[in-house]
Amino acid sequence: MDDMVGASGDAYELDELLGAYALDAVDDDERRRVDDYLQVSPRASAEVQVHREVATMLAFTGMDAPDDLWGRISDEIGELAPPPGPELAKVMSFDDHPKRRRISTIAPWLMSAAAAAVIVFVAIGLADSADAPNEPLANAVELARADRDSIIATLVAEGSDASAEAIIDQDGHGYMLARDLPTLPEGQTYQLWGVVEGGDVISLGIFGPNPELETFTIEGSVEALAITIEQHPGVISNGNPDGAFVGTF
Amino acid sequence: MRREYTEASDAALVVSIGRYEQAALAEAYRRHAGATFGLAKRLLNDHARAEEIVQEVFVRLWNEPNRYDPERGTLRSFLLAHTHGRSVDMIRSDVSRRTREEKEAREQADGGYDVAREVWDMALAGHVREAMETLHEGEREAIELAYFGGLTYKEVAERLDEPEGTVKSRIRSGLKRLRGELVQAGVTVGAD
Repeated sequence: MDDMVGASGDAYELDELLGAYALDAVDDDERRRVDDYLQVSPRASAEVQVHREVATMLAFTGMDAPDDLWGRISDEIGELAPPPGPELAKVMSFDDHPKRRRISTIAPWLMSAAAAAVIVFVAIGLADSADAPNEPLANAVELARADRDSIIATLVAEGSDASAEAIIDQDGHGYMLARDLPTLPEGQTYQLWGVVEGGDVISLGIFGPNPELETFTIEGSVEALAITIEQHPGVISNGNPDGAFVGTF
Repeated sequence: MRREYTEASDAALVVSIGRYEQAALAEAYRRHAGATFGLAKRLLNDHARAEEIVQEVFVRLWNEPNRYDPERGTLRSFLLAHTHGRSVDMIRSDVSRRTREEKEAREQADGGYDVAREVWDMALAGHVREAMETLHEGEREAIELAYFGGLTYKEVAERLDEPEGTVKSRIRSGLKRLRGELVQAGVTVGAD
């Protein structure tokens, strides 16, 4: 009962912060608490969005961006973000048997990725063991974990003790428990990839160098997940791999 | 510019950006770069750094288009929220912040805090101004200092010599009241 009162009081306090949060007018600790709260409260999340829409009205100045700015953006994305898809997707077509295709196509994709990325963590099986985080978001994770329609998979890398756990509920909300992954040096980031229906490989999110409990969204079905280490988000590294890490669902 | 993009919805543009269609990003830039630049410049009062923020915002949209969820709001709101957040980060990490605050404080003492002097020329501006005028003074001041001043609500409370809880509540109630006024004026603001 005390917990319920405490939770209710906490929710009231967090609700009161929503306006300030929407205007980036909270400190870092409060922002983290509200971030977690929004994960489990669609109502609060919707309220923040409306506040931001109102702020958008205030911000509308009618100014034009400087003439040469687009050129600089175009140059930057030209350097940083070449399409990674075709490089990974073209290996999907050489096996016709649907069941076997799923397995054999993932391996070449991984080999292709491993040839470019430093480490690849790949989803290889179902799992049900992980320490639950002690935050409000944990409730959403545990609900998803308890739902028999959810997909739960462990992502491991051969030759490494580190692993991450992915839980995807039936609505496509994904949670990645990635606390075990080693912290990366400055300039590197973990990136989550998914092989979706039809064999396309898509980026599902950038997790930063020190991920903990991360969220992502999947539309439609997913056949495999992989976490790579990237020098720049969205781009497979050109560095030589320390080793290839291969697996399937 | 490919014609299909000039007629595409923001959501469709973002889908195309996810497929690395640079023309789609160019169209998103054409539609929203002015607003993002205007907000960043207003917050930072620095042309070069405002450009830096806008560049970062659009490069991020290119690299992480899946962060935008059309069901949760407009693309402009998404881009402006990111612009505002990054600008505020820059302000708060700026070693010259104290100077800036002192300058602002002087300006405030001289002529008051003008909410949106650049906004009034726009068609929307009339509605926004009228809506702002319906706010209680405390609500209006709190929102202005937080949003355009880049202050936390605690800093706003200190600036206004008001309790933190009061300022926090005023920001929230003020935003709700603003939305109500804008909706009543026929402006679409988020989902009901």
